[in-house]
Amino acid sequence: MDYLYDGSFNGLLTCLYEHYYSQKADNIFEASCYQVSMVNENRIIYPDDVKAKKVSEAIERLISKTALRYIYYVSLSNDMNKGKIILDFVKFGFEEKKDITVFFEHPCVHPICKIYKQVSVEVHRFTGLLRFSDLEGVLFAKYMPDHNITEVIVRHFADRLKNERFIIFDEGRKLAALYHEGSTVIADFDDVTFVTDSTEDNIRKLWKSYFKHISIKERENLKAQYQHVPVRYRQNAVEFIK
Amino acid sequence: MEKILAKLEILAEAAKYDVSCSSSGVERNNNGKGIGSSSASGICHTWTADGRCVSLLKILMSNNCVYDCHYCCNRITNDFPRASFTPEEIATLTMEFYKRNYIEGLFLSSAIDKTPDHTMENLCRTLELLRNKYLFNGYIHVKAIPNADINLIRRAGFSADRLSLNIELPTQDSLKILAPQKNLKSLLLPISDLGNKIITNQNDRRIYKNAPKFIPAGQSTQMMVGASNDSDHVFLSASQRLYDQYNLKRVFYSAYIPVVDKPNLPSIATAPPLKREHRLYQADWLMRFYKFDAKELLSEKNQNLDLDFDPKISWAFNNMDQFPIEVNKVVYDRLLRIPGIGPVSAKRIIEQRRLSPVTYEGLKKMGVVLKRAKYFITCQGRYFGGIDLNPEIIKYKLGDMEESRQLSFWR
Repeated sequence: MDYLYDGSFNGLLTCLYEHYYSQKADNIFEASCYQVSMVNENRIIYPDDVKAKKVSEAIERLISKTALRYIYYVSLSNDMNKGKIILDFVKFGFEEKKDITVFFEHPCVHPICKIYKQVSVEVHRFTGLLRFSDLEGVLFAKYMPDHNITEVIVRHFADRLKNERFIIFDEGRKLAALYHEGSTVIADFDDVTFVTDSTEDNIRKLWKSYFKHISIKERENLKAQYQHVPVRYRQNAVEFIK
Repeated sequence: MEKILAKLEILAEAAKYDVSCSSSGVERNNNGKGIGSSSASGICHTWTADGRCVSLLKILMSNNCVYDCHYCCNRITNDFPRASFTPEEIATLTMEFYKRNYIEGLFLSSAIDKTPDHTMENLCRTLELLRNKYLFNGYIHVKAIPNADINLIRRAGFSADRLSLNIELPTQDSLKILAPQKNLKSLLLPISDLGNKIITNQNDRRIYKNAPKFIPAGQSTQMMVGASNDSDHVFLSASQRLYDQYNLKRVFYSAYIPVVDKPNLPSIATAPPLKREHRLYQADWLMRFYKFDAKELLSEKNQNLDLDFDPKISWAFNNMDQFPIEVNKVVYDRLLRIPGIGPVSAKRIIEQRRLSPVTYEGLKKMGVVLKRAKYFITCQGRYFGGIDLNPEIIKYKLGDMEESRQLSFWR
């Protein structure tokens, strides 16, 4: 039986709940990227906050807090097999009833750790590489992450820019987080074109010039630069835009 | 705007030789009033064409210097465009950049403008303006000006997250030749004073929760490599002392880039010793995270690090009697000594061993660099190196695998 969910974390946790309390799941997929097969049956699971909470508490209690964080991050990844990977991890954890995240080498644990790392690296990268434009008092940032990390990223900025108004827009997923006075809303969002005013243009100009002059010519090392900022991350970074 | 742009160009250009750009060491949430927070691991915001990370807005307040340090492009005798920012200009620039997430904070330094005290006072005023008027809560790294009044330096410490005073050269003799107005003793004085003050402050804060924080990310310093004749042994011994006695968080090494032709300096055509700098950073890493002592890496007899092999593997070659090491038996500290195993993989090995013996295949998953480690370990009693445990043969095998890697990884 394949379980299909809406892509939300609570949806995923509800699938795990159903796996234990109704029918065993062979695999879990996001409904939007599920390929219907003739062999496997499938069942659509709607997120249920109460059931989800029970599962997340059980994971924290029986495995560890770290494990729950790993699962959450992996659920945000764009890996097609993440449902199965999480299912295997949780099954193993509930059998062992201890913090299995330290058994790095184990086949049920290793994939989780690997994907967790990928997602958290991207989160960390964008906490630095995201660029806001000041549009008459609203800070607007556009980016294109590999993984669906907007809700993690926004938490970082909601603290840092507590008293600002800002929007973080995931171009690929057409999803935006809107923040104002302590509350965040994540919603579907269409791309917008905007005109920047002269202050914004001037600040960008200053930044670009700073970026150019802080580099030491005698030490030029473009290869290292490409390793740190791959081309796909450059399209929205002011200093790399011609 | 054009005026600011011109100043920014000059003063960024003048600040670029300071290598430190880290924004790590302080975890601080927004205080609810202003803007900003700080992350313990530090955040890099971009990377310049030289492959170095940009985390902080690194600028000089002024490059108008009264000192005449031979190695420096800002020295008084150099015919060079000069500029100075006002505290207000720096604060505005920092705020505008920070808001847009260009930077993690400010790294403010200055040439000696008029007098050391006047310069330090200006730095303090800028910091206080940012913290008190603009309610800036991001990261600030400020330079302590050599020979400035200690009370002014301390004052800066209450606004800054990190304070640094660059020693530049590790011995009094080199300083005398290249920086006649500085001397090692008076450079170390404030470093030692601040070190003590940090400890007092930590104790105070244990009792009085609301006591103001004093440079919570600690002190760092920088030394130039290749400007003087000092050997790697001298550099590492100096660093060891700075870490042990003065409690420094970081020592930075900067490959000297000739900016001027002077008889007692390398000629202007000399390429910066990037590889040597890289090896020093690796050795420094071994001292801070791998529990090595400078004495183990170099000695009076063996003054310089091997440029062909990294210091850890060089150490292993010189101590072959300790190898091979059985990864399933030894304690953490001994695992750390194995080339190809770092703190992360060593920790994983220890944790994995509680469940079941570590296998050779498992090592790879744990992040061990086997192409290096395999010559130095046994795994469940088996040796996987495939060749004799002879340094010369291993060196040949490792050959040019060494270091096609980038040079400035650890910034």
